[in-house]
Amino acid sequence: MKKALKTLKTEAPYLLFILPAFLGYTVFSIVPLFKSFAYAFTDWDGYSEANFVGLKNFQDLIGDAPMMTALRNTLLYAVSVPVLVTLLAIPLAVILNGKMKTRNLQRAVFFFPSVPSALILGYLWSYMLSPTSRGLINSILGAFGVDRVLWLGTPELAMFSIILVSVWSQVGWHACIYLANLQSIPSSYIEAARIDGANGWHIFRHITFPMLASSMTISVMLLLTGSLKVFDLPFSLTNGGPGYSTTMITQIIITRGVTEKLYGKATAMSVIFFAIIFVCTLLQLTLMKRREEKLS
Amino acid sequence: MKKQKSMFFSSNAEKYTWRTLLLEIVMLVICCIVVLPFYYLFVSVFKTMREMGLNPLGLPGSLYLENFKYAWEQIRFWQAFGNTLLITFSTLIIVVLFGSMAAYAVARRKSKFYRLVMLYFLLGFMVPFQTTMIPLYQQMQFFGLINKIYGLIILSTGSCVFAFFLYQGFIKTVPYELEESAVIDGAKPFRVFFQITFPLLKPITVTMAIFHVMSNWNDFMTPFLFLHSRENTTLMLEMYRGVGEFTNNWPLMMSIMVLIISPLVLFYIFAQRFIIEGLTSGAVKG
Repeated sequence: MKKALKTLKTEAPYLLFILPAFLGYTVFSIVPLFKSFAYAFTDWDGYSEANFVGLKNFQDLIGDAPMMTALRNTLLYAVSVPVLVTLLAIPLAVILNGKMKTRNLQRAVFFFPSVPSALILGYLWSYMLSPTSRGLINSILGAFGVDRVLWLGTPELAMFSIILVSVWSQVGWHACIYLANLQSIPSSYIEAARIDGANGWHIFRHITFPMLASSMTISVMLLLTGSLKVFDLPFSLTNGGPGYSTTMITQIIITRGVTEKLYGKATAMSVIFFAIIFVCTLLQLTLMKRREEKLS
Repeated sequence: MKKQKSMFFSSNAEKYTWRTLLLEIVMLVICCIVVLPFYYLFVSVFKTMREMGLNPLGLPGSLYLENFKYAWEQIRFWQAFGNTLLITFSTLIIVVLFGSMAAYAVARRKSKFYRLVMLYFLLGFMVPFQTTMIPLYQQMQFFGLINKIYGLIILSTGSCVFAFFLYQGFIKTVPYELEESAVIDGAKPFRVFFQITFPLLKPITVTMAIFHVMSNWNDFMTPFLFLHSRENTTLMLEMYRGVGEFTNNWPLMMSIMVLIISPLVLFYIFAQRFIIEGLTSGAVKG
């Protein structure tokens, strides 16, 4: 008992250190999370009494075509964007780490699209991709004799446009994550390889690329979680259309939950959504951490 | 990293070959394509609707300022700017302070209890906002925090987890010796943390601050859900309001966009070297 009291006394200041974050996190994250889990099993609509309905909401999800479409869209987006951004950001970082005279200007330029909010970028691009005669992209293409393209009016092209804008706005700042890592690679490694007769590709393949493993883990994690949770960009660029072809999970949860007051259904979807994010992130982190260890 | 003399032009061009020159030219062309949307946005605000259609990419024929004037009348710029500034910086202080404090305790104490705390924080790390949104709204209603700026600030105590993980990883790389000698001299944990450890965390604090400002300044969803009255408007909410009313008046909408993005863009232009380096200096080492 005495010992326990003594431990408590030495630990008390540290417990106080944790307390504010712990309290806020519990009240505003964990409690709502468990409430969400609970609502997912009821038919609550926000006003009348909630009844326990078992797994009905989850079963209904399968029959809810827009929800299934949203799920598919989100997965497509969340695979394409991280892959494309990573494929472009690594070479970009290597180039921006080179000997060009304007490299600092270029870094600033490539990073720039990630400064304004995705909401505004979406609205801006919706004007640029407009099918009317005022749409910038179509008038540029028109100058080359290309017929008018309905960028946001056809399902496949609308998704393609969202991915394109998203990649454009994120490549630069992910290149900066890799750039910081590149700058920490000792130049002696590369010089030694060069003396041994390695060419640029060999150096990249066997020295630079493996040494980027840790920043790749961070960058891909940020991209993956960010893409799964994407809301602002599709909301402002296409508002989910045409039809449901670019509606993401986040948007359908808001439509079902806030607009249509189908709390049970919306929370059931959000529980599934949470599970997807959880599994994807965990899988990504485990695999990439293992890769880091293998490469180091 | 090598010291560079000028802001934009690097000076260490040891082996600048014709291939580097070719690459440089190609890259500059790509740069122009990357900034084209912003160029288009910027020249469009000085054009009439007709001129925009006829000559989308050219410089404006005259400095037509009516769009701007009208846009300025339509949005409450200073109110939105003030609120956004207040929210972003108050939440920044909360997140940095509470996040680093909790991270310090967990990183420095060895007992099992702190490992459990860490697991507990990890549990909610990946919870997307939309999952908890509906019950969270009730929670906020229960505490009377709806439509209050301070409600949004209090809400941020729930999002210290990201800062917690950044700090936690970084503190482990900070040597313990300095703190140890202070403890031997009889300093209390509070003093040890704030006078010795916290200043050493500067690189990660800078990274955290940039992350936070960039995401919070541009946050749309949270204020959209919790702030309803016009007095509590933020820059992103003003943008959204504009869209509802004037979608078809392109030059006007673009003027509103320019006004809304200007504070953060100006900040970026002046501090870009600092931002690009600071964004990564702390995170990659952890």
